[in-house]
Amino acid sequence: MEEKLLVSFWPHIQDRVSTKRIMWTVFLCLLPSGIAGVYLFGLHALLLIFVSIFTAVITEAIIQFLRKKEITITDGSAALTGLLVAYNLSPSVPFWIPMVGSFFAIAIAKQAFGGLGRNIFNPALSARVFLLLSWPTYMTSFVKPFSGLDTVSSATPLVLYKEANLNLSNMGLSYLDLFLGKRAGCIGEVAILWLLLGAVVLLFLRIITLHIPLSFLLSFSTLSWIFSKSGPFKGDVLFSLMSGGLILGAFFMATDYVSSPLTKKGKIIFGVGCGLLTFIIRRFSGYPEGVSFSILIMNAFVPLIDRYLKPRVYGKK
Amino acid sequence: MDIKTSLMIIIGMVFINNFILSKFLGLCPFLGVSRNIKPALSMGLAVIFVMTLSSIVTWLVYRFILLPLNITYLRTIVFILVIATFVQFVEMVILKKSLALYRTLGIYLPLITTNCAVLGVTVLNINNFFVNNHPVAGSFFYSVLEGFFAGVGFTLALLIMSGIRERLMLNDTPSLFKDLPIAFVVASLMSLSFMGFNGFRF
Amino acid sequence: MEKNNNLLKEFTKGIFRENPIFHIVLGLCPTLAITTSLENALGMGIAVIFVLVFSNLVISSIRKIVPDKIRIPCFIVVIASFVTIVELLMQGYLPDLAKRLGIFLPLIVVNCIIMGRAEGFAKNHKVLSSIFDGLGMGLGFSLAILIVAGIREFLGTGRLLGRTVFLGFSPLAVFILPPGALLTLGLLLCLFKKLKKGS
Repeated sequence: MEEKLLVSFWPHIQDRVSTKRIMWTVFLCLLPSGIAGVYLFGLHALLLIFVSIFTAVITEAIIQFLRKKEITITDGSAALTGLLVAYNLSPSVPFWIPMVGSFFAIAIAKQAFGGLGRNIFNPALSARVFLLLSWPTYMTSFVKPFSGLDTVSSATPLVLYKEANLNLSNMGLSYLDLFLGKRAGCIGEVAILWLLLGAVVLLFLRIITLHIPLSFLLSFSTLSWIFSKSGPFKGDVLFSLMSGGLILGAFFMATDYVSSPLTKKGKIIFGVGCGLLTFIIRRFSGYPEGVSFSILIMNAFVPLIDRYLKPRVYGKK
Repeated sequence: MDIKTSLMIIIGMVFINNFILSKFLGLCPFLGVSRNIKPALSMGLAVIFVMTLSSIVTWLVYRFILLPLNITYLRTIVFILVIATFVQFVEMVILKKSLALYRTLGIYLPLITTNCAVLGVTVLNINNFFVNNHPVAGSFFYSVLEGFFAGVGFTLALLIMSGIRERLMLNDTPSLFKDLPIAFVVASLMSLSFMGFNGFRF
Repeated sequence: MEKNNNLLKEFTKGIFRENPIFHIVLGLCPTLAITTSLENALGMGIAVIFVLVFSNLVISSIRKIVPDKIRIPCFIVVIASFVTIVELLMQGYLPDLAKRLGIFLPLIVVNCIIMGRAEGFAKNHKVLSSIFDGLGMGLGFSLAILIVAGIREFLGTGRLLGRTVFLGFSPLAVFILPPGALLTLGLLLCLFKKLKKGS
């Protein structure tokens, strides 16, 4: 029997069972946030989630079939990508948006690179930015929670802060509202409470570590606090942390194994980079939210980070 | 010469209007040299060097020869000849003075000469910093700044790309996408991510 | 008869077998930058054909008298002169197009295809062959950028040559932006790789 020498890059996820376990655990930990999203924004959000996951899984199955490779859709990674794509959408987008998004995420951002473990950029975020640039109107139209069938359009707190210079009380919101997700925003990003609970579970199970989220959030908070629009050291840090997709991004997307660094030092650099870029884009660029862009940019640096911060060889001094 | 304009030029050249990811200047060397990190770094340094010096020389030529003699329509011919000549000269000097430097920078110099990025930045300088055939305030300083940071932006994109491509070579990329097509997909995703800087203002 | 066959070969190779963009992958900068509309691509294509044909002509004519050591600067002067002519003509008669093509008009000088043909063909071949080579390569280049521009304009705006075409979908603005250009070219290169493998 010929044994092929497998020269591959991290992560050498040989253990199929462990990949499956990890993916589905993350999926489960993310579910509460999505349920909250559906509760807040209505059944159309549920439709979007289903369409997104379905498209992602089908795309992966078809591509793997065409490439005559083993079909691995039960490992949960396509489903997870689909879920995350939906979580990054406004609840009022037409159903074909998550279809295009998930297709792009799986076919281009993941399978074109060779499939699981080989992508450089986070697929869900790649899709989100692709969609944002393709259909900016749809992707930036949000609705108030609990609007029922006659949705009431509303700008997100971040936009209100950036464009209209409103602060929390002017917007008619409280910190508790933000924490529970009672604001206009993307399906899976608003329910901070449920996102944090899911994150705690993942941390407890050691599926993710604190290095990236903590360095991300700390660097971002510090910069927002010091260099805020309202004046030096006057930044409303709680507001900035709980608005936009920061919590979702920091705990569930920046921590994606494949597109983040190997070493602890690398992870911290990665996190700080994300925090810095998110701050800069939110503060100075034309976009109100910078989380997606900043994680993608840092994804691009990961090969360089890993190259120059090689993990210590076991046993070496 | 104010800080705000200078900062906008720097951010503009490196992030918003990155020569590779946004303006599409210098793609041939970008794709050709981005397979490995070390040559990419060397090429990047050489490009910064040539772009800065070219910006200086062509500005002076435009201001003190082409403008007074009213032959600005000869700009294209004159610029490319000027760039080609003095890069040749610089190459000879480096070869004589330092073999090590030549090995790092020198072999890329002829490649850069006929590279749209260099001619591009010199023409861009003229378009940006001359109005009605008169240099704007701080024109020379801004042109040199623009030339230098255009090179920096080029090098940044090149370095990131080489890191990614080195890693991709170890991956089992589908043969349909191997080498060039996936490089374009990577560049497109990099370009997507850099779009976050659009609309930048202080 | 022989001569005509050879000329035909020189002509068609630029279009298919050795298409400068899809096969040799040269001349990328304009391919990505100006292909936001078919009209731009058409304008650029014609400009490049003009410069290619005439520089090949001149360079081939003077190939026996140009000293080898200074041939590159000489070629550059020839190419740059024709580019300047095109620039001035376009600025005079088609100023809108000239504006849209922007810096890529003077940048035709450093389009690797033109120098590539001068150095790789015109300096070693007779005038008539060189003209046909230039024509073929120019047409191949034009064809390639027209394809890219067509895809980008259609997907990105739902129009072709400025006229709305029947759509079943909402146009994807990303295709007239830089990331879309890179993605289009990347996927086209895949397609051509597949076609080549199949043949």
